[in-house]
Amino acid sequence: MSGRRGVNTVRGPQSALTSFLAANNISAAQIAEDYRRRRAADPGEGPSTAAPTQDQDEALAAAAQAEEDEKKTKKRKRKEEDAIDEIKKAKKAKGGKAADKKEKANAKKKAKKANPDLDDSDEEDYDIDYKKAKPAPGQFEHCESCNKRFTVTPYSKEGPDGGLLCTPCGKEMTKDLKKEQKALQPKAAAGKRRRKVESEKLDGVSTGGAKSLVQLCLQRVAQHHDDVEELGDLPPKLLERLSEIFSKKRVMKPKTLPLFLRPDLDSVVVHDAAYLEEEDYLQMFSVVPNMKKLVLSNTCQLKDKSMDYMLERCHELRHIALYAANLVSEEMWHRLFREAGAKLEVIKLKWLDAAFEDEAVRDMVNCCPNLERLKLKLCRRIGQDSIDSIAELPALQHLTLHIGREVSNDALINLIEKRGSLLETLSLEKFLDADDAVVEAIHDNCNRLSKLRLSENDTITDAGFTALFDNWSNPPLTFADFNSTRDVDNNNPTGPEEAVGLASSGFAALMAHSGPSLKHLDIASCRFIELSAFCDVFNGAQSYPALEYINISFCNKVDTSVVAGIFQSCPKLKSLVAFGCFDVDNVVVPRSIALIGVPRAQDAIIQQGMGIDVDEAVGRMVEVGA
Amino acid sequence: MAATSDYVTLVSSDDYHFVVQRSSACISPAVKRMLDPMNGFLEAKTNTVRFDTINAMVLEKVCEYFYYSEKNESARDVADLDFPTELCLELLMAADYLDI
Repeated sequence: MSGRRGVNTVRGPQSALTSFLAANNISAAQIAEDYRRRRAADPGEGPSTAAPTQDQDEALAAAAQAEEDEKKTKKRKRKEEDAIDEIKKAKKAKGGKAADKKEKANAKKKAKKANPDLDDSDEEDYDIDYKKAKPAPGQFEHCESCNKRFTVTPYSKEGPDGGLLCTPCGKEMTKDLKKEQKALQPKAAAGKRRRKVESEKLDGVSTGGAKSLVQLCLQRVAQHHDDVEELGDLPPKLLERLSEIFSKKRVMKPKTLPLFLRPDLDSVVVHDAAYLEEEDYLQMFSVVPNMKKLVLSNTCQLKDKSMDYMLERCHELRHIALYAANLVSEEMWHRLFREAGAKLEVIKLKWLDAAFEDEAVRDMVNCCPNLERLKLKLCRRIGQDSIDSIAELPALQHLTLHIGREVSNDALINLIEKRGSLLETLSLEKFLDADDAVVEAIHDNCNRLSKLRLSENDTITDAGFTALFDNWSNPPLTFADFNSTRDVDNNNPTGPEEAVGLASSGFAALMAHSGPSLKHLDIASCRFIELSAFCDVFNGAQSYPALEYINISFCNKVDTSVVAGIFQSCPKLKSLVAFGCFDVDNVVVPRSIALIGVPRAQDAIIQQGMGIDVDEAVGRMVEVGA
Repeated sequence: MAATSDYVTLVSSDDYHFVVQRSSACISPAVKRMLDPMNGFLEAKTNTVRFDTINAMVLEKVCEYFYYSEKNESARDVADLDFPTELCLELLMAADYLDI
């Protein structure tokens, strides 16, 4: 269409193919032109995409031999041209906007050349830098930076000014680019480092200052777990710590397990055996046959065959802790107790859903007379009968129970009455219906307890707790955990008239009884303890010399003065956990104490003590408060 | 040499001598006990401790750790000490022996 002038020439709708070809700088006019040129130069070409019929006739008419030869040369040349087009396209893809603009300008120029009638007087025409065409692969070119002659390949890198670089200069350029990218990384890494530091503080790994050299080395070994071939003569304690770190990083796999198995060891502790399979267990029992202590957590793949081999090989077992061993059948549990029960002193079983019934517990009690420590948590199929059986264990000193099924208070009282006098540890979790009579039984029968946990209960009253601690013949406890003992009723948020769960008087009685030797105190969610009770207990004058860990989460009556009092009253305090205590703010944390969970927008979840001591910290808090 | 000199010498199994400040070396409770004049050990008298199980490369890193630890005692968020990974296991054994 002639007569098309002006800046904004309106073009009609184009087919998709035309737009595509235009976008890739393939001009139909140019192809036609090239073809015509070729046909004029060499008649008798092979099949081509836009060949009109008369050319084909001519090709057929020509000599067959000459045709063959020329076909080959044509194909080779065409392949080269295709290759060049590919490279050009690839280079364009790398080029970006500026290159695109140049391509458009070039395309227009070519179109203009092919069809001189087109007169686009766009401004873009004047912006073109006249660039030397890039040489094809196989041809020689001078390197842009070092000016050396080299052969262009499809992999030749482009220099900053658009020319090509020889191979060594190209390599250097990519190296420089990578360095620049790395220099930009710290922004993301800084956030990651912060998280890592906080996580380590929560784990108790670093309490301010430098980490211990042992810790640094263990971290490095865990980092390179793939390359470690042998752990040499590491002492068992370090080996256990290393296995803990490996389990935490989830790299305790069949490949790394042999590092921890030595014939001279007497314990195998794997906190995450999820990746271990049957052969690994067989290997474990064959390499360490004299093991006395076996701790396997997350042992989902422990099956009867492995247990059978264990009973065959390992005759010295004293301590068994199997968590989540759900593929072990009921008969195998019976066999375990019957064959290995005589020597067993410690049994800890958690998360057994499929097997392990009351009968197994009865068998255990009958076959394990030397059992001193028993922990049965979250074993779904056992119930009250098990409690009755456990009451008959003669040597029991440490008992932990968390049973899902209904257990009557009488059964619990019976258990406590029979075994209470020997018990040093008693932990009854989530016995929701346990009532004051149970607590009374503890008061009457237990006089050697050092660790007591009665958690997640909403029946025992405050009066019951007070009665427990008043005039109790038991020496002061070292570990007291009464978390989540409170009345749970959405219609009555302030609690019943007669306080249920550990409340003010119970708390006061507890601290009065066990204050001198208490190390660990957990009263999370005991939200009916009044502020006055807290202030009385932690008044700064009263000292609790052994207290290292306090958890007062969700006791929402706590405020800053209580926290200040805690800092003053507990000289050995290491960490104070106070999630959900919204009246606590502006806390100045003294040296070597970690305050976890107090919310302030700017602060981290953990506030690490700065280098000041308690008196100064409290002084500052009082100033701020006043 | 004074009774309690400021500097002590740590000798490795291959006879390399490292002279470090007493205060830094006593970051390790084991070394501290050895050098305590009250205990009357030979090490305390000569202000020298010989380690027959620790070689020079490891002992050098241990000395570096002594200074790093003392310098960063009350700092927060300190960067970890860098050391070649090949040395890791021997360094771990030495660290466990010295209780650092």
